[in-house]
Amino acid sequence: MAHSKLADDAILAAFRRSVVAVVPEIAAAKVTLDRTLAELGCNSIDRADIVTMTMAELGIIVPVPEFGRDRTMGSLVALLRKYA
Amino acid sequence: MRSGAGLAVTGLGVVCALGESVEPFAAGLLAGSSAITELPADSGGPRYGAPLAGFSLADAVAARTGLPDGIRRTATRVASRSPRPVQVALAAALEAWESACLHENRIPAHRIALVVAGHNLTSRHSHELAARFHASPAYVPPRFALQMLDTDHVGTLSHVLGVTGEGFTVGGASASGNVAIIAGSRLVESGAADACLVVGALAELSPVGLRALGNLGAMAWDVASVPFDESHAGFVAGEGAACLVLESAASARHRAVAVHALLTGYAQRLDANSLANPAEEGEVTVMVNALQRAGRKPREVGYVNAHGTGSPLGDRTEIRALRRVFGGQGQGPWVNSTKALVGHCLSAAGVVEAVATVVQLRDGFLHPNTGLRRPPSPGCRFVGQHAEQVRAGLALSNGFGFGGFNTCVALAAPGA
Repeated sequence: MAHSKLADDAILAAFRRSVVAVVPEIAAAKVTLDRTLAELGCNSIDRADIVTMTMAELGIIVPVPEFGRDRTMGSLVALLRKYA
Repeated sequence: MRSGAGLAVTGLGVVCALGESVEPFAAGLLAGSSAITELPADSGGPRYGAPLAGFSLADAVAARTGLPDGIRRTATRVASRSPRPVQVALAAALEAWESACLHENRIPAHRIALVVAGHNLTSRHSHELAARFHASPAYVPPRFALQMLDTDHVGTLSHVLGVTGEGFTVGGASASGNVAIIAGSRLVESGAADACLVVGALAELSPVGLRALGNLGAMAWDVASVPFDESHAGFVAGEGAACLVLESAASARHRAVAVHALLTGYAQRLDANSLANPAEEGEVTVMVNALQRAGRKPREVGYVNAHGTGSPLGDRTEIRALRRVFGGQGQGPWVNSTKALVGHCLSAAGVVEAVATVVQLRDGFLHPNTGLRRPPSPGCRFVGQHAEQVRAGLALSNGFGFGGFNTCVALAAPGA
């Protein structure tokens, strides 16, 4: 697949761009692997938009039920890597 | 309200092509400036319109310097990713909120209601997302699940303003604005609320909707059609939103806030007609009934803000109705159509025109019918190419819509 070797840092960078686009008040540097989007101040709609925008940027499709709740950024990055 | 006492209009807000707040809008009305302009040839829509060009939520929020920082921050946080119609409606509501001093001299949040006028408000946004859907359905923005609903306006505005009373949208095609004013009035009159924000929302039509209106002949496609002029050839679309704060007289007195005008009467009737054609009988009935409700006589009316879209059949029908209610040319009230200046703001039109009416009552002038060179004969007492310095005292504002909607609201200067 086109993204099979997608590095975790590239996925995290895409997440950071999505977070800042959706909630400009959040500094990109605050988006670290140990935090959840909720902890960063993203509401449920923000979180859904951020995940979808990031998938769109990277050309990845993760089935919605896979996301569950309260995943850390590290867990989200791993999930997208799995479907890359 | 049959006594004619009326509800207080304590707050005003407007964002349209003639001005992005009330005072520039009032200055534009007085000058008779037309915001109707030739649109880019590649727009795919009609040749003329009154678009709200360059609107920015950030600028609109920054302009509301009288509001607390908390409201302004919340407005930006909650609405920065909203479709443009929601942002424009919010800007109008913020101005009205500030103008009614609801941030300083407060009414309990649960005693404030919110009624939003309009339907199919974000159809252009939906249309634009269709391409993304066809490319990859998985990437459709989840937020659209909220944004596809017209009630997203209610949710967003209530979130920003902290309103917890009753709230809903109402629709009546091009009469939606007046329908909402009537619904909001009833909430306050019934005691369900002390005040109601009535918001006329910007209806952003899709290219498909625009073309259908053009193909029907309702919208002027190639000409800058002028309401009531013999050359009229359909309406010219305008973009705008507006907000009125309607408040019980007791609440306005208790808060010691300025009363811009009184809403003294209203009426709505259907024609039992699913089509687009107007009906003289329904139009006469709502003008007569609104006056009856206000406890006033036709001869007391100094001014009518006509529905006046520029539709040949619509204009002719409204003139006949006005002549039946008020008598022939020279005898009746002054008549103008704000649509000559701002275009037809569709869902928002009734509220935009109510704000225009209040401003004219307040400032003692009646705006020109800009571009009206060849009025029909017999006609009405149309304002000419210059504003009339008139303290009209009592005014009617008409709103009619496809599907047989007829509405009229009566507004009076305080003490008139």
